Amino acid sequence: MSKKTYLQALNEALRQEMERDEKVFIIGEDVGQFGGCFGVTQGLFDTFGEGRVMDTPITESAIVGTAAGAAASGLRPVAELMFVDFIGVSMDQLFNQAAKMRFMFGGKATVPMTLRMPQGAGIGAAAQHSQSLEAWFMHVPGLKVAIPSTPYDAKGMLISAIRDENPVVFLEHKLLYGVDGDVPDESYTVELGKADIKREGTDVTIVATSLMVHTALAAAEKLQADGISAEVVDPRCLQPLDKETILGSVKKTNALVVAHEAVGFAGPGAEIAAMVAEEALDYLDAPIKRVAAPFCPVPFSPPLEQAYIPNEDDIVAAVKSIR
Amino acid sequence: MSPDKKMMVSMYETMNRIRLFETKLQEFFAAGRIPGFVHLYLGEEAVATGACAGLTNQDKITSTHRGHGHLLAKGGDLKLMMAEIFGRKDGYCKGKGGSMHIADFDLGILGANGIVGGGGPLALGAALANKYEKTDAVVICFFGDGASNQGTTQESLNMASAWKLPLVFVNENNGYGISCPQCKSMAVTDIADRAAAYDMPGVVVDGNDVLAVHEAVSEAVKRARKGEGPSLVECKTYRWRGHFEGDACTYRCDEELKEWMAKDPIPRFEEKLVESGVLKKKDLKEIKARIEKEVGEAVEFAEQSPLPEASALMDDVYA
Amino acid sequence: MSTAAILANPASGKDIRRLVAHGSVFDNQEKVRMVRRLILGLEQAGVEQILYMPDAYGIVPRALNAISPSIPVRPVEMPMKNTQQDTVQAAGIMETLGVDVMVVLGGDGTSRAVCKGTTRVPLLPLSTGTNNVFPFMVEATVAGLAAGLVGSGRLPLDQACFRSCMFDILIDGEPVDVALVDAAVYGDVFMASRAIWDMSKVPRLFLTRCRADAIGLSAVGGALRHIEPDDPHGLALTLDDSAEQRVTATIAPGMFANVGIGDVRDMQPGEVFPIDLSPCIIAVDGEREVEIRRGRHAAVRLRTDGPWVVSVSRSMELARKGGFFVKQSSGNRGE
Repeated sequence: MSKKTYLQALNEALRQEMERDEKVFIIGEDVGQFGGCFGVTQGLFDTFGEGRVMDTPITESAIVGTAAGAAASGLRPVAELMFVDFIGVSMDQLFNQAAKMRFMFGGKATVPMTLRMPQGAGIGAAAQHSQSLEAWFMHVPGLKVAIPSTPYDAKGMLISAIRDENPVVFLEHKLLYGVDGDVPDESYTVELGKADIKREGTDVTIVATSLMVHTALAAAEKLQADGISAEVVDPRCLQPLDKETILGSVKKTNALVVAHEAVGFAGPGAEIAAMVAEEALDYLDAPIKRVAAPFCPVPFSPPLEQAYIPNEDDIVAAVKSIR
Repeated sequence: MSPDKKMMVSMYETMNRIRLFETKLQEFFAAGRIPGFVHLYLGEEAVATGACAGLTNQDKITSTHRGHGHLLAKGGDLKLMMAEIFGRKDGYCKGKGGSMHIADFDLGILGANGIVGGGGPLALGAALANKYEKTDAVVICFFGDGASNQGTTQESLNMASAWKLPLVFVNENNGYGISCPQCKSMAVTDIADRAAAYDMPGVVVDGNDVLAVHEAVSEAVKRARKGEGPSLVECKTYRWRGHFEGDACTYRCDEELKEWMAKDPIPRFEEKLVESGVLKKKDLKEIKARIEKEVGEAVEFAEQSPLPEASALMDDVYA
Repeated sequence: MSTAAILANPASGKDIRRLVAHGSVFDNQEKVRMVRRLILGLEQAGVEQILYMPDAYGIVPRALNAISPSIPVRPVEMPMKNTQQDTVQAAGIMETLGVDVMVVLGGDGTSRAVCKGTTRVPLLPLSTGTNNVFPFMVEATVAGLAAGLVGSGRLPLDQACFRSCMFDILIDGEPVDVALVDAAVYGDVFMASRAIWDMSKVPRLFLTRCRADAIGLSAVGGALRHIEPDDPHGLALTLDDSAEQRVTATIAPGMFANVGIGDVRDMQPGEVFPIDLSPCIIAVDGEREVEIRRGRHAAVRLRTDGPWVVSVSRSMELARKGGFFVKQSSGNRGE
């Protein structure tokens, strides 16, 4: 066990899986010598060569489709889109092809591909390079959606994603790449679809994803000072969604706040709130609150961008409105 | 290179299998016995047959919404196909896919595809897998004139050539993208012209001449197997039926259809087979009768197969 | 009114030799650009109107999108089949309309189709095909000038042009087709993709002309003899894999064939060379074209009254000598 950044953890996962299984390869824009736009694949080209770390043209449909076709043909591709925002260019290959192949073909196809995509605001990248689009993918039967918040989870979940027999959309927040934490040196897995309670508490459940897990933990510290004990649940995966852990926490705290960076309207929080309302309404002492980005594109100018991204005060206020 | 006698007989059988299968579907659709919609391959039999003859089960194809011909030419099982199109439990995909989503991975059929232009990127992946695993297997990507205008197709042509993938793009140019004639949808008459932009060979062949298609595609396959990269073979053909069954075809004239029906690929091939002594007239009759029987048995199989139970709905969403 | 005709084949340059050999894809847009330059050349040379064969791609109309010639450029009226037959028919129409010169864009096969339509109108064949022996690889502007000088009557026909030999292909004594450069017996009954590259299936080869720097089937003969297109004799070869004499010839772009040469005979005009093989196919100018059914008797016969072909180099040289390109502003500097 040693301290590693989220980025190093991902890199280590890729390296260890490529060493373990020759069928694992990396494909994407500038993932080779360049090491990936954010540096996640750094050094892998030198170790594994261009035969396994493949630079593509700027051709997102071809990247996603090649991964799907290669996966259906027996390989285990890990594709990278430079920004999640580019999925729009290639969505058909993901949601109509990769996601549906197995079902459409009566169970004959297996599509073990991983599609890594950085998302999130906070670096001044503006409207087309900053979105959080997890709700798009949650809505598509056949896809799994992993959205790890810590270096530990990032490594274990990426290894699980690569070994998974389904197409897995793997969403990394750009601002998490530099976050560090304890990460075992050896290979390990974190089960996809298993939530993690990042902080235990008794008065309110805050379900938070990705970068918002860290914001929620900071908010929980503040709330603690005001005598409110918040439990922070990180679903880690949005499809499959670990309902039991979320419901268990809500049944204990009797209050729910959902926090994410995706826009609120029809965002992942809508699904989580609906699920809790359907299955645990009687346990709730107060309305469910959602903390999310406003329904507008991500702005560029720093003060606007900061106004866009939910912060710990927003979470504190949401909790205080019901507790 | 002309195919040997055995292959020619098999090609003749395949063309008839497609013709009779599709004719049967046309009847059943008109009688309201098939759910959903079907896109028939009638008139284009020579393309799939010529292209797939000589491939092995390690070689893969990606197909289109008009895919029955490709699947049959690649060895698809008549019974399983018929049952699938009938929406039955014993169909290729347990009734989950239907006409546009039939696959048989054991035969190298990576699936028909409901999205025009959807197959190109998947074919890239399959071809990359061949190269990655260092096999000499190839992939054929069937695509129509409509699909040739999709971005995915252009991306696929580009990457296949840049990466020298073992891939053959077989374009079926039947002149219409649904109702839109080629002259309104592109500024070129020959889709093969576009090959030059990707530094790959582009060839135009008579898509109603099975041997012309076979000759060109098998040369392209040979190149691909040797690692010389992809090629584009454009096959000029025509669909006798509308885009889908029930299409009134108001966008084209009867004379045009008649002209193309006169170029029916099956009698053209029959004439050659008899002339060259590969088959006698009575052999042709026997083959047709045998295939008619096969198709009849497939219908029987489909009709006897149960409908899927609702309890199967959630199966195979995930592996 | 001096009239030139343009017959541009939209189908040339796309056959299987891009796969089996290393031919270039000759895209139609390049033909459009060539036609632009050709029209400007014809106009410059003094042609008063241009007629053209319509085609499905609209090569000439597209060419006119980017230039504004001062002379009329009009299509002839004819039904289009989008087959070789269009070219045959258009050539015939051009003769009827009294066209003075034709410029043909295509390969050997396109010029052959023109000559099935007429051999009486002088033609200038411009290469846009694959293995071209008959048409010239020459800049279209210059071709336009040369054809225009002939078409406008400024050059004597017999000096600016040569008369090419050609073959009649006979079935049971009746001419059914022609060949401009070569006729090859192909031991198969399938036309398939039409082109020829498998020499093991060619037992006999007839050439109206041959030279060492040629490409295509005539290069086989070119390894042995030199015969100009207007020389009044041809060459008949029997190819025999067991023969001691072998030649290596460039039969397609980037493609060489090593063939055994059996019998070599001169062909005299009018002499009939029977083909003792049926069924078979006779490939004319490199394309499998004429089917010889079982029991039919095919033959090849040389004729010297083939098409009048405009020689670009001779025409331009005659024009230079005639001072067509020089204008004196003052004094008398002479040539």
